[in-house]
Amino acid sequence: MVETKRGPASYHYVCTRMRVRKSLLIPKEEYLRMLNMSLPEITRSIGETGYKKEIDELATSFSGIDLVEVALSWNLAKEYQRILAITPGALRHFTENYLRSWDIQNVLTILRGKMQGVAAGRIKELMIPAGMKDRAFLDRLLAEETPERVVEALKGRRIHQTLEEGLPEAMETGSFANLENRLYVQFYDELVRDAMSGIKGGRIFLEYIRLEIDVKNIKNLFRLRASGIEEEIRDLMIPGGSFTPRELQVINTTRDRDEFIDLLKKRVHSPPLKSALEGLRKKRPIREIVVELTRIQLDQMERMSKRHPFSICPIFVYLEKKKHEVLNLRAITRGKESHLPAEQIQGYLVM
Amino acid sequence: MVDPVMTLTTVEMVEASQIGMKSLAAALAVVGTGVAAAFAEYGIGSAAVGATAENKDVFGLVLLLTVIPETIVIFGLVVALLMLF
Repeated sequence: MVETKRGPASYHYVCTRMRVRKSLLIPKEEYLRMLNMSLPEITRSIGETGYKKEIDELATSFSGIDLVEVALSWNLAKEYQRILAITPGALRHFTENYLRSWDIQNVLTILRGKMQGVAAGRIKELMIPAGMKDRAFLDRLLAEETPERVVEALKGRRIHQTLEEGLPEAMETGSFANLENRLYVQFYDELVRDAMSGIKGGRIFLEYIRLEIDVKNIKNLFRLRASGIEEEIRDLMIPGGSFTPRELQVINTTRDRDEFIDLLKKRVHSPPLKSALEGLRKKRPIREIVVELTRIQLDQMERMSKRHPFSICPIFVYLEKKKHEVLNLRAITRGKESHLPAEQIQGYLVM
Repeated sequence: MVDPVMTLTTVEMVEASQIGMKSLAAALAVVGTGVAAAFAEYGIGSAAVGATAENKDVFGLVLLLTVIPETIVIFGLVVALLMLF
């Protein structure tokens, strides 16, 4: 393992490794080739790339689409843990905090599964242990009988209080959506506070997180518009970005699409995001808008990583791109299994 | 009246001092470029090890990149030799 001393040398080392790993991710042409393959061919093709080890390991327990999905999840989790192992000092601190979003996702998966009485084995297949809580801890949570016991087992963890407060309402309504919103608001709030605590590299990290919060809020606004929801949305929005929840509430009540886009553009600082918003004046399916915004976010992050070559940015860009590679492969395999046409599957891919 | 012995001693002292200053300047040229090369190699070397850890095929290329700053020391050495001889 790399020595985790502070200093520029370790930044050069880790950032270069991330850049090399990023260059080895599946290119756009390969995705387009996969779109014309059958499911077994895609499985074989994935098995020939960086996922070979997981596909071989799991081939005895799973087959078909399940094999691909579990192999992709395992690979992602292992990759993230390996990155944590080589990341030093402040970079590790930020990376750990950033990966906690996976803990939230896993805990919510367990809670939802427990509430609906799903078998522990099936829940485990759906989890991606890419966060700070290791497999053993997640297995302990899985072994708990009820959602209340799961929350109790998380005592002393950052998310415990929010879970404890939100669980009764979630159990009563049968929906974890509000609790999920609160957890993610808390998550981003902690990230922003960490970045502003004066720690080395905090300014770049803050810039990065603000961009992510902005894009998330804009995506949610488009989703809310598509669903015609005009009521109080402040609780659904994430504070800490360029917009305050109050401003987002005002923007959401604007019915005229041109005015809506103008209001968004007024507060957004990044030129590519501004031009992307300009392209969204014409009504388009929400799926296309979300993919377009995700692509712009990744491009922006890539630019930031070039502006700050030895910072947290190259690491986060790789983490995000790797996640989207897994999501793309999953979309292709799921789409193929459902016999969707290649053009339709392509619409779901972030390339 | 000028003392010839005294004059000779002064000239020898000045000559010795000039040689000393030359040596010092030559040493500074080598030390300065050496430190600069070390500083450059520090970053390049770390990145080179990172790249090699991911892809062993680039070892030859990154080794070449790592030693490129050595040319700075050669410039320093040439300047030092020109000063001394």
